[in-house]
Amino acid sequence: MLVVATDRLIAILTLVRQQKHNGHQGGRLCAVAAEVTEQSGAGIALSSERGGLTSMCASNRVAQRLMDLEITFGEGPCFDASRSSGAIEEVELDSPSSLRWLAYSPAAGAVGARAVFGFPICIGAICLGALSLYRDLPGPLTDAQASDAYLMASVAARAVLAMQAGAPEDMIADELVRESTFDFSVHQAAGMVSVQGAMSVGDALVALRAHAFTSDCTSSELALRIVARDLRFEPQTGEWRDG
Amino acid sequence: MARESLLISTLVELADNLVDNFDVIDVLTVLSDRCVEAIDVDAAGVMLASPGGELQFVASSSESMRVLELFQIQADEGPCVDCYKDGNAIVNHALEVPDARWPRFTPQAVAQGFRSVHCLPLRLRGRTIGALNLFRTEQGPLDADDVIVAQGLADVATIAILQHRTSLDARLLNDQLSNALNSRIIIEQAKGKVSQ
Repeated sequence: MLVVATDRLIAILTLVRQQKHNGHQGGRLCAVAAEVTEQSGAGIALSSERGGLTSMCASNRVAQRLMDLEITFGEGPCFDASRSSGAIEEVELDSPSSLRWLAYSPAAGAVGARAVFGFPICIGAICLGALSLYRDLPGPLTDAQASDAYLMASVAARAVLAMQAGAPEDMIADELVRESTFDFSVHQAAGMVSVQGAMSVGDALVALRAHAFTSDCTSSELALRIVARDLRFEPQTGEWRDG
Repeated sequence: MARESLLISTLVELADNLVDNFDVIDVLTVLSDRCVEAIDVDAAGVMLASPGGELQFVASSSESMRVLELFQIQADEGPCVDCYKDGNAIVNHALEVPDARWPRFTPQAVAQGFRSVHCLPLRLRGRTIGALNLFRTEQGPLDADDVIVAQGLADVATIAILQHRTSLDARLLNDQLSNALNSRIIIEQAKGKVSQ
């Protein structure tokens, strides 16, 4: 068993080195995660303070969209995997086995996912975030696929820490920013909305996400419009107005 | 307890620390206590190197001041310093005054009633992280098996400590990353506020 895992680990590390995807390390990790587990796509999110998640990278547009949805709604496989430090699966999004993700499940189905999985990115007891996988067909992972997903999560954990190592305190390593697709514009937009609406930044983030949900777009897309001053929050009416 | 049983239970005890509730002082106190129980020595203690390479006393089999003082004065002279610097064991060193090798340490040890001293490195592959110091109230060589047993226990304790340090490094790095992400988010929020 140990020998098999070592062989797989070597195979995964070799694939990561050979991958050309997106030209950045995060993209390579996600592309290899999807490839070795034979899924349609993969994404990686890192935990920030108080259980929040920040999207680090995704292997394709659908995977990125799923990650945006998860962060918009605050629920989904990455959240559950990083909170529980255990593997999460939803093998049929069209008729979920439980009603755990009321907003995420139908939205994820609408962008093309039929099954989603979450694996914690951990080193020992330390949990850095989660790896999510999706497939456009329903059904569970095989044992071999699940085992590869775990290995992939451990490779990702070490890759992230290796990139962050040596960065000054309170700074994200330049390498880590360069090698991923963090979306910080959502937080800049939340800062703007907090002033527009005379509310706390936390409330502004909730308002932003709620509006993204009702207007059928992601918080990233909405944030871009706010930062570009194409959209603003009107405190008197509690409405969002163009321009 | 028969010596074999004691050794096996000690190894399990040391290895158990790899899994949960790791406390470096606990590990080294176990090491010191078991050395006194399992082999023919009267006092044992451990000194670990700080990041700057200075030895610091961390644990001993006895809390009596006379023993503690013997460790404290080894900050710059004594068997622990030599053992740590060379990475080699010092066995069967008879304590007699005057002692040209450790002119300050030896008279203190003799005054406390010790007649011989032994020191084993806490070492994994090429890396020495400290030293295990053993004292006897008699002269005469330590049993060769005793030396092997003590070095074996010291090796297991060293692995436990190094393993723990590796996981601590990862934990620190992760805490730092989490803080960094948070700082960056706050900066972005502030940028948004200022731009309004």
